[in-house]
Amino acid sequence: MKGGIRKVFAYMVRYRAAGLFLFIFCLLTLVTLVNPTFLEWQNLRDIAVQAAPICIISCGLMLVLVTGEIDISVGSMMGLLAACMGAMASLSRGNWPPGVVIPLTLGIGMLLGLLNGWLVAYAGIPSIIVTLGMLTALRGVTELIMAGTWITDLPSGIRFLGTGTWLGIPVSVWTALAVFLVSLWLVHQTAIGKRIYAIGSNPHAARLAGLPIKPIKVFVFAWTGLLTGVATLVSVPQLSVVDSGIGVGLELLVITCVVVGGTAVNGGIGNLGGVLCGVVLMTMISTVLIFMKLGEDATYWSRAIQGLFILGAILADHWISNQRKT
Amino acid sequence: MERLKTNALSKSYGGTHALKDISMDIIAGEVHALCGENGAGKSTLIKILSGVERPDTGKVHWRDAPLPLGKVDAIEAHGVVAVHQEPVIFPHLNAVDNLFVGREHAMACGIWLNQASMRKQTQNILATLGEALSVTEPVGEMSLAQRQMVSMARALIHQCRILILDEPTASLSARESASLFGRINVLKEQGVGILYVSHRLEEVFKLADRVTVLRDGASVGTWAIKDLNRDTLIKHMVGREVPVAPPTSSPNVKPTKQPVIEVSALCRKGAFNDISFHIQPGEILGMSGLVGAGRSEIARALFGVDRFDSGNILYGGRTWTSLTIQDAIAHGIAMVPEDRQLQGLVLPLSVETNLLLPSLANHECFRGLDQGTMRSTAGDLVTQLGIKTESPSKPAESLSGGNQQKIVIGKWLHTHPTLLILDEPTRGVDVGAKSEVHRIIQALAAKGTAILLISSELPEILSLSDRIMVLCGGCNQGILSRQEATQEILLRRSLPTDSGRDI
Amino acid sequence: MKQRIHHILWQPETFLALLVASLFGLMGQLDPAFIQWHVQRELSTHAWELAIIAIPMTLVILTGGIDLSVGAIMSLTAITLGMLFQSGCPLPLACLAALLAGILCGALNGWFITRMQVHPLIITLATMAAYRGVAEGISRARPVSGFPSSFAWLGQGLWLGIPVAGWLFLGLLVVMLWMMHARSFGTHVYAIGLNSTATRFSGIRVDRMLLAIYTFSGGVSALAAILLVARRNTAKADMGMGMELGVITAVVIGGVSIFGGRGSLLGTCLGILLIHETREFVSWHWNRDELNLLALGALLILSVVFQKLLRHKRATP
Repeated sequence: MKGGIRKVFAYMVRYRAAGLFLFIFCLLTLVTLVNPTFLEWQNLRDIAVQAAPICIISCGLMLVLVTGEIDISVGSMMGLLAACMGAMASLSRGNWPPGVVIPLTLGIGMLLGLLNGWLVAYAGIPSIIVTLGMLTALRGVTELIMAGTWITDLPSGIRFLGTGTWLGIPVSVWTALAVFLVSLWLVHQTAIGKRIYAIGSNPHAARLAGLPIKPIKVFVFAWTGLLTGVATLVSVPQLSVVDSGIGVGLELLVITCVVVGGTAVNGGIGNLGGVLCGVVLMTMISTVLIFMKLGEDATYWSRAIQGLFILGAILADHWISNQRKT
Repeated sequence: MERLKTNALSKSYGGTHALKDISMDIIAGEVHALCGENGAGKSTLIKILSGVERPDTGKVHWRDAPLPLGKVDAIEAHGVVAVHQEPVIFPHLNAVDNLFVGREHAMACGIWLNQASMRKQTQNILATLGEALSVTEPVGEMSLAQRQMVSMARALIHQCRILILDEPTASLSARESASLFGRINVLKEQGVGILYVSHRLEEVFKLADRVTVLRDGASVGTWAIKDLNRDTLIKHMVGREVPVAPPTSSPNVKPTKQPVIEVSALCRKGAFNDISFHIQPGEILGMSGLVGAGRSEIARALFGVDRFDSGNILYGGRTWTSLTIQDAIAHGIAMVPEDRQLQGLVLPLSVETNLLLPSLANHECFRGLDQGTMRSTAGDLVTQLGIKTESPSKPAESLSGGNQQKIVIGKWLHTHPTLLILDEPTRGVDVGAKSEVHRIIQALAAKGTAILLISSELPEILSLSDRIMVLCGGCNQGILSRQEATQEILLRRSLPTDSGRDI
Repeated sequence: MKQRIHHILWQPETFLALLVASLFGLMGQLDPAFIQWHVQRELSTHAWELAIIAIPMTLVILTGGIDLSVGAIMSLTAITLGMLFQSGCPLPLACLAALLAGILCGALNGWFITRMQVHPLIITLATMAAYRGVAEGISRARPVSGFPSSFAWLGQGLWLGIPVAGWLFLGLLVVMLWMMHARSFGTHVYAIGLNSTATRFSGIRVDRMLLAIYTFSGGVSALAAILLVARRNTAKADMGMGMELGVITAVVIGGVSIFGGRGSLLGTCLGILLIHETREFVSWHWNRDELNLLALGALLILSVVFQKLLRHKRATP
């Protein structure tokens, strides 16, 4: 019996998605027992809307991590894309139709991703440096564009992306679902998905096997840029004010979700199911803290609890590798 | 006639010529061996033929049409396939993905991958290789030989006409090597041309029809194997006569002496079991066995790198049940590890710094590091060991393999070790430098240093050691005196039997 | 000899020094008032915390690691100082406790890194969230202020014409320069960054050194936090936000390779000087802060490209 529990535990730790799913389930049970209103439609919908953009970017960033690179520029990129989108779409500035604004925003996101990827793959600069530079520089460009002002008058067409619903479910959640399904297809059913994993798993062997390493690296960065554009389109219109501070610190939240979801920073390992669970867990923590009726103070601890979750994920990984050795 | 012909291939890296004007051909249905010392340009040639690198000048013709150089997939499509020395293995992927990544089967206009057909073909290939492997398990969790097999299967998935094998037996046991040779002969009969690269000259004489020798990036010539013998081949490779290392004239050991080290019943689960031996001052104890027999693991345990579970080591007047690297060094144990580049040297640092790294703290004085004594100590070691370098301030990576190995030995000499553990001290060392390393080892033993010599090369073990211990599956198969030991006995004892396997 | 000159000439430090010198020349042309001593001294107050943390960060990056938690440690130690002071603890004792907290945080990082064998990037990413989270939790994200004016001297005062924080930086720098160049410690740090396995096999206590370096990083972050609290006369959980990125940028612009083993403290100092002067001048002369961010990011990427070219040039005379 004891061995059986051990086995189940080992399975949960090893298959991160299953372990996290169980953990989320336990957490949900606990919070519902304390406060049944947690399961109300409105609340679940709020959490889903919060999680949607994080999920969208995580699907891209996971692939970057799987190739063994890292991208810490997504937060600043979202800030810049929000500024561009705002400047193009707002009634008082560009007042361009959504049919133009949407593809342009996505295009700019992809171009920025391409630039990241090109600098990493072809100019040979370490990705942490490239994206650290971008993190700073793109925020500067955002401030140049916004020039200390802010935008409040987005047209209803764009607003719909953030606040509209279809079949009672917000557009952003539908989008996240679509991105997730496309990512599943990309990872499991395409040659490029297999190659992404191969490159991260053993870069040297990938070279000997003649895999197109550089184009694939450019692809994952461009894909992440594109998805950052998607996330911007569905999240920024929810805000009443667009200023130059959008997306500050987002990169850390996304990386946290991806790592908690079982993705290895050294490349080769990453599972979309795990990442999805990581996103859900990380975004529901602060809501859970509120609903646990622990008093007002509890909400201040949400960041500390996030940190503990990453440490927990690291401990779990460490435990697995020790298990494997013996 | 089907043949692969290279035409004046040249390649240089940052000013140094790796290949100069190589012209050779491989005919379908022959085994063509490629020989040469390290740095002779063999690996560069293989990289060019397989499309990993692009030559600066020159062409490669296959069936009288030029091959698309620098494109692995295009060259593979022509049936020219390489199995590289390091297995092309993606440890996190399963066998199917390992075989097919880069040449996936698509269906429905490329929207889906044809998983079923890829899986079926994988199973077929693995079956012809005689391996029953799981196709869903990550390859990283398989054994070394199984991984090698997956790498081989990856090459054979094409209808290959020219197969390039780079040191395929480097990490195989004798039995696995034999089955590989059988496989090579079958392919040869099917009309596949094979370019065979190996350091082991016995294999070359056993398999090859013709031999091409490279030296310093240039081709020395091509001979039919029957026109060569071992000595002439070595002469072509080195460019001069190399004397075979003479055996130590007489054992240095006086049996009455106190042993330097006494190991009793040393165990580590999954690595080695019940290992007992002792070494006397001035004695060379050889340790023989297959790769994976637990030799390096014992060496690591003695040097304090890994823990051991039970047993003890009587050393330096103390009985140790656990020790750290610092304990080992402080009491006069030194180790030349098996992987020179990863464990032995900090390659970008200078020769001098590498030589002084273990004892740098001794050169600290009030004003700082004493540059004068540092320079003279390093200079002494360079002359004593005959390290060929422009200056001790050159980075270690600029030296040849043999000279690098001398640095790894040299860095322990001024700590005056009483026990020196050498793990494969001549792996990847040129024929010429090899005998110099042997002389250094013999000189140390003559001065009274006890030596534990681990080597996969039986002639080396036999000519240097006073006594030889054979390991198999982590167990001691007995210690032989030099008079008793022959290649045949060592080999027989090192091959696993049914009872020898279980630890 | 000629080779040696060639080698020195193509060091990143030489180029950084030339760059800084020409920058000063340019600034002097555009705005002579800017390069006056008292102006520079006044503006330098913005840079000391970053400069102080850059010293241990140089060591950390030289070993091939990274410490993302320095800003969070600043926040946690600042809050420790503030909360203790608020609850009536004497100020020197509170400072000591803050230092101790920083050392503990750093040691915890080091312990995780050496024990778990996980990349420092991930460990310190986790502790970055955890430390700042704890700071937010215990302070409920409220500021603490009302420190005595004598405390402000630490952050704002002068001693022999130089800011107190500057003296601390110089003291720390001299000690570390001595450690790096006149002790075996320095060579060992480089060796760890280039090949930690071979260094361990040479009998050097790599784990203990890493633990010490990360602990040092934590302690120095606490010192910087104390200076920051003294300068701002307030302690708050969002202190040091983004500090890690600024420090890493300065260190990398100073020619320290992110993969470890290459670079120097001198380069770091020049890197700090370069970005500090550029930033202050852009704000002073054009009053455009947003240009700073743009310039800093571009400078970071360009400097790494440039260092790559230099390394190539140095290798082939």
